[in-house]
Amino acid sequence: MTVGFAHPALLFGVLAATIPIAIHLFFRRRPKPVPFPAIEFILRARRETERRLRLKKILLFSARTLLLAAIATALARPRIEQAVSHAAVLAGPRATAIVLDASGSMRYELGGKTLFERAVSDAREELLSLTPEEPATVVVCGADPPAPEPLSFDRAQVRRILDRAFAVAGHSDLTTCVQAAAQALSASRAQEGLPKRIVIATDLAASAWRLDVPAPTVDSPSGPVRPEVSILDAARGEKLPNHAVVGLEAEPDPAAGPRGFKLTVTLVNHSSEKLAELPLSLLVGMGPDPKTTIRSFTELPAGGAARKSLLQAFPTGGTAAVQVVTPGDALALDDARALVLDVPRDVTALVVDGSPSPVKYRDEAYFLEAALTSPASPVRPHLVDVEGLAREDLSRYEVVFLLNVRSVGTKAPDLQRFVENGGGLFISVGDEIDPDLYARELGPLLPMSLHVEKTATSRVAGGVGAARFAEVDFDHPALSIFTGEAREGLLGTRTFRYLLARPRREGPQAQVLAAFDDGAPALLEGRLGKGRVLLFTSSVDRDWTDWPIRTSFLPAMQRFAAYLTGGLEHQRRVATVVGERRSIVPREGETLAALVGPDGRERPLAELERTGLTRGAEGMSWAPPEPGLWQAKVSVQGEERLEPRLAFAVWPDPRVSDTRRLDPAELTAWFGGESHARVASDARPSGGRELPLWSVLLLLGLAAFLAEGVLIS
Amino acid sequence: MKPDPSHPSLLDPKVLARLGTLHLRVRAITEGVLTGLHKSPHHGQSVEFAEHKEYAPGDEIRLIDWKAYGKFDKYYVKKFEQETNLRAYLVVDSSGSMGYRSDPRLLTKLEYASALSASLAYLLVRQQDAAGLVVVSGSVRSALPPRATAGHLGPLVEALAGVTALGPTDLGAAVDWVIEHAPRRSSVVVFSDLMDRDERVLRRLAQLGRRKHEVTLFHVLDPAELDFPFEDPTLFLSMEDERRIEANGRDMRKGYLELFRRWLEEVRRAALESDVDYVLCRTDTPVDEVLLPFLARRERTAA
Repeated sequence: MTVGFAHPALLFGVLAATIPIAIHLFFRRRPKPVPFPAIEFILRARRETERRLRLKKILLFSARTLLLAAIATALARPRIEQAVSHAAVLAGPRATAIVLDASGSMRYELGGKTLFERAVSDAREELLSLTPEEPATVVVCGADPPAPEPLSFDRAQVRRILDRAFAVAGHSDLTTCVQAAAQALSASRAQEGLPKRIVIATDLAASAWRLDVPAPTVDSPSGPVRPEVSILDAARGEKLPNHAVVGLEAEPDPAAGPRGFKLTVTLVNHSSEKLAELPLSLLVGMGPDPKTTIRSFTELPAGGAARKSLLQAFPTGGTAAVQVVTPGDALALDDARALVLDVPRDVTALVVDGSPSPVKYRDEAYFLEAALTSPASPVRPHLVDVEGLAREDLSRYEVVFLLNVRSVGTKAPDLQRFVENGGGLFISVGDEIDPDLYARELGPLLPMSLHVEKTATSRVAGGVGAARFAEVDFDHPALSIFTGEAREGLLGTRTFRYLLARPRREGPQAQVLAAFDDGAPALLEGRLGKGRVLLFTSSVDRDWTDWPIRTSFLPAMQRFAAYLTGGLEHQRRVATVVGERRSIVPREGETLAALVGPDGRERPLAELERTGLTRGAEGMSWAPPEPGLWQAKVSVQGEERLEPRLAFAVWPDPRVSDTRRLDPAELTAWFGGESHARVASDARPSGGRELPLWSVLLLLGLAAFLAEGVLIS
Repeated sequence: MKPDPSHPSLLDPKVLARLGTLHLRVRAITEGVLTGLHKSPHHGQSVEFAEHKEYAPGDEIRLIDWKAYGKFDKYYVKKFEQETNLRAYLVVDSSGSMGYRSDPRLLTKLEYASALSASLAYLLVRQQDAAGLVVVSGSVRSALPPRATAGHLGPLVEALAGVTALGPTDLGAAVDWVIEHAPRRSSVVVFSDLMDRDERVLRRLAQLGRRKHEVTLFHVLDPAELDFPFEDPTLFLSMEDERRIEANGRDMRKGYLELFRRWLEEVRRAALESDVDYVLCRTDTPVDEVLLPFLARRERTAA
């Protein structure tokens, strides 16, 4: 039976008990001198009451001292602890290996202290209880594979390991760590004859254990035996309710407006209590002060999960960071999750109208322009006719649409250079197109050579016999948005006339993204240099097809523009889980100078190298230790700046959030039953082996307070 | 009629304390007292013949002794010596303890006693009584024999005004002086706080009674002596010697008040037994509340 304290650090408050004496000794008021005629009566009264006054003063001091001491001690939450020993305790010296659980769940705060702090305190006490003849070692079970030191009699060394230990943000495998401890106990031949003991300071989180493997054994002169195991429960038998953000996905959602995203958050509740209205906030921004853009509530069932969708539109394109945050609970590690997004930038497009018409809806570019300028479109089109093309500086644009353009004339070489340098080109055909002229002017740019015009049916036939899209590559980024019923809008398109295309004799072959039901290519992709070309073998007005009036036309054209500028490839960034290595690839001319962590602290390159940064052919890689948003600081020509493109999100390991506890009986059974293992403080809720003293002390303090009041009065 | 608090009476000790000199205080007191005083109980007192004087122009004709004219055929005027009703010795204690006042707005006990005694002297002389003064501390410091003339009041008030509180208390010295100098039955009025180290002081006063003197004791005390309002740790200094004591007022109050109450009862009982007229005077009590009952008692006694 021992007296323990839940908050031993608060015992410093007991010093407050010296305040009354200190005040009496050092801050005593100097009495005011007063001439008084009837001093004789005071002298006589003093003589008569002196003993009583002295006793009263002593009682008053005692009451005040007791009051302060009782309150200070009560705040430290004292309790009488009766450790129940289920295991047969072996007499005599033993070799001890202490396993310290340093997983992310040990950051759980309970009673003002983290479980890890409690576990370290427990481990230190265990170390103190060892006699000088008992060797010991410590296995810190963090993210890295356990590497225990050999058994040693040097307590200072073991204490140093405990002092340096910290709870990582990741997951730990306690089964592996216990096995490593058993190996360390077995490895020492000098202490072969000593009984072996493993002490595990842990929170008993079930996710850290694998009980489907054989329990550890240690070598003894008589062969492998099960060691004696003491499990020090840092949670003291209490439940560890926790809620966490365990998922965050982002998908472009035109419904949210230009550059809109639908963010889907997954939350879990590892407690037996339902969370009726759990607040949820969406923070946007990379700086130290991100802006809260959405506040919401969600309901989390007891022991269940919930998904919540949030719509967020970004005002500008580029790299953006979002964080979903729930109110902090006892385990703050998993109450937020960050994500870095590539928000589509504005695309500048040159639309060359090859068949303008004063009647608006007959204009070749009418439907395309309407599609590109719709409110949710990131494309900023500039419309010119064929004559105007000659005057345009193509370097101002990212994509060029040639709509039924008979001839680009002298602009053909410029167009070729434009594509080779990374520009996008979309070509649609129509009555104006002369395949031979096109072959001469735009030959290298065309994915396939245009051949002859084919009429599937006439418009007057009411669409009977019209060609329809078939063999559509819906996995292609430009067409992947057509899912489910949305595909009907594309597949229902009727095309009356189109140009046949035939593969080129030489050079890279085109990719057919869609073909008509007769097998003729409808949508082709070709590449030239860094750029891309999309060729649609029919028109984008209603002369040859009714696609422009189909629901699929608008998103398709916007996606084509985005795809041609390379805006679809990097949209989905993958977050890293704590402990996993993350590639950091600066551009040419950029040098990584530092990484800025979620806490705002800058880790310079030297520190990163010390903590495992490696360099490879594809850049650098490093395992971020903490979850949150990490930013990269690069040096360009001696000038350092934060590069949003290199920012990345790190997520906590979902296993860390699962704070459901293992049944102590299950664990002791795995170790070989109560004859081999015991769990300290495991029976407190039912067995009452801990008697809290703080309430008694508070009553004592109250009594002292009342006594003080009576004495003063 | 209740006094108007916005117009405090001139007899209020706080008002008197603001009056700078004893002369002004006496005038204020006597004017106030006289408005409430009945006529002198000694009205129509006897006048004794002293001698004859030959008439000279200017003398009152009504005083011519016609019998002597018949005998001697000369005009003689009768001269009379007025007989006083009372010969009063005002004994004022001027020991160090009488210099105490707990509130600067109040009079010290000596100032209060001086104002009382001077006012009493004025009132006595006004009704043809003789008033004398004995100022005493460790010994008799000054003394004026009783006279009933108005001119006697000036030196008396001057003597009182010049008194400072100093030295120990020894009322026995005053008793001895009165016994020695008072040839016949007199009234002895004592103003003292009785903080005498000789506990037999009341027995000494009783000696005067045994000699047929009429003794009145005005026991002058400050409110702080009666109420002991001290709360904090205080260093109490004796006003008559070197004694000092550090004590917490709050702790001492109960014991002090009990002892003081017992002492006052003892003084009252001793005064009663010795036929000494005892009047307890708080220095925050208006002077007329002390003087008028005293004078009324005297009126009843004389009647």
